[in-house]
Amino acid sequence: MTPGSETGGLDFGSVGTVALILYAVVLIAVAEIARRARRDASPADHFLAGRDLGAFVLFLTLYATAYSGNSLLGYPGRAYQSGFAFIMATGFMMSIVVVFHALVPKLRPAARRGGYITPGDWIRDRFEGQPGARALRLSVGALMSVALLNFLLAQLKAMGLVTSHITGGAIPFWVGVVGLAALILFYETRGGMRAVAWTDAAQGVLMVLGLAALLGWILDEAGGLAGITESVAAVRPAAVAVPAAHTNVNWFSTIVLLGLASVVYPQAIQRIYAARDARALRRSLALMSFMPLATTLIVTLIGIAAIGQVDSLAGVRSDEVMPEMLVRWGQAGTLESLLAVLVFLAALAAIMSTADSCLLSLGSLLARDLLGGASAAERTTRWGKQAAAVFLLAMIPLALFEEITLWRLIELKLELLVQCVPAFLLALHWPRLRARGTLLGLWVGLAWGVGFTLAGVPQIEGVHVGVIGLGLNGAVAVGASILETRGGALARA
Amino acid sequence: MSGSQIFESRRAGRAGDDSSRRSPRTLRGRLRRGLLLVIGLLYVASVPWYRESDAPLVLFLGLPDWVAVALGCYIAVALLNAWAWGLTEFSDEDPPS
Repeated sequence: MTPGSETGGLDFGSVGTVALILYAVVLIAVAEIARRARRDASPADHFLAGRDLGAFVLFLTLYATAYSGNSLLGYPGRAYQSGFAFIMATGFMMSIVVVFHALVPKLRPAARRGGYITPGDWIRDRFEGQPGARALRLSVGALMSVALLNFLLAQLKAMGLVTSHITGGAIPFWVGVVGLAALILFYETRGGMRAVAWTDAAQGVLMVLGLAALLGWILDEAGGLAGITESVAAVRPAAVAVPAAHTNVNWFSTIVLLGLASVVYPQAIQRIYAARDARALRRSLALMSFMPLATTLIVTLIGIAAIGQVDSLAGVRSDEVMPEMLVRWGQAGTLESLLAVLVFLAALAAIMSTADSCLLSLGSLLARDLLGGASAAERTTRWGKQAAAVFLLAMIPLALFEEITLWRLIELKLELLVQCVPAFLLALHWPRLRARGTLLGLWVGLAWGVGFTLAGVPQIEGVHVGVIGLGLNGAVAVGASILETRGGALARA
Repeated sequence: MSGSQIFESRRAGRAGDDSSRRSPRTLRGRLRRGLLLVIGLLYVASVPWYRESDAPLVLFLGLPDWVAVALGCYIAVALLNAWAWGLTEFSDEDPPS
């Protein structure tokens, strides 16, 4: 759709521009209210909202953070390429809430008692006094920071993409990236986690409403699920066929990769710390179990439905499948145009809510785990804000010029993060795990995963190199810890 | 509080008498573990590794039958996982000294 194009007497670009401005005003207002609600300038208040998030806000902020630009733009593009086999996305997003069973019941009580703020606080506490503990904390902090920067880059790119579409091109890609990055920086710096969580809650509601409208449109447009399947089968029969063995192996591998890597997202771990109480956390996670059905499944169906229009979508990049489908919907009439703008805003909300959470976590990781100590001083909060601002500014040029798809960014991030899993899941459940063994395992797994990725081999026989690297990582961590424990026992004898 | 105290409190719990094994808390724990096992099996069933890749297209509820099976498994996972979270017990209190 060109700037100013009209649909049933409605100028799509103008409506989108007005909606975008209103959305920005609401976010600024929420941030200001959050700033007034703050109790002090401590890191716990800034980075964890004073550890007082109730079930409703916690659920919406978990939801808005977990479902990002990758989910709303990357997944439809992937479904468009893969066909019905990408139904796996609903399963792997759900696996995150399943794997949380191995993390939350043990990490949460420890975090409460230890007053944790960052993931590194767990490493410090768990491996206290052991040789290699500091190097392990720094390595995990650095790895998580790189993953967050990657995640942030993906969100910045998606922000520019959606802004240019929602305004019909009136606001170009680069202005969208720079302007919305400045908006996030403003409200994150002003209100901290409280502003992020409250804006996430508002954005989560917007996402649910937008996606519900979108589902109604797809089913109506295509003549129900059977209509979608038949049109896809007619255009691309392979997209409806039972997947080959290689795809099935990849399906299992992706469930393992996403399920394990996503539970060590720093922003997710910090929301576990920020919950008001155990009850609020349990209720939020129970509700989160259903969100892949309300989100991932819908965006997957959008991508699959787009296959039925393959001829007219030829030449469209995979990340632009969703915006292109929305623009077509918006052309159908005035109501459709308004609903398409609502869904665009929902997509933007998903992107912004993930970006702000990444930025906040990044600031806390840099200030507390990498640069500072365990100090509760205001200085840590100030460092966190400054570090986040510097890295956000550094990411903007990459977002403007780097040519890489959102799906590839997701995979890169996960292959890094998944190597942190033993330092959390294994360390929570196996008392004999030692810091040096965990560190050695982490570097072995990382060398394997990054080495193959840089060599252009992201998978071996359908299995992600990061998953194989995690296997090596765990084996080395366990083996080295047993050897160290036995060596210590022998020395004492 | 040190993270290693988690393991100490767990060992202390195991050393309790046999009557505690039949307490509602333990039954909830067993039910929760059973639900997680079923969730694992549903994940295995959701991937169509047991189907021939050249099987003819059969629709079920408007979807290819293997997609309907996968989706059915994921709906069941969502329900069971929410139930399992309802049964999950963890405390925000300090451990007994």
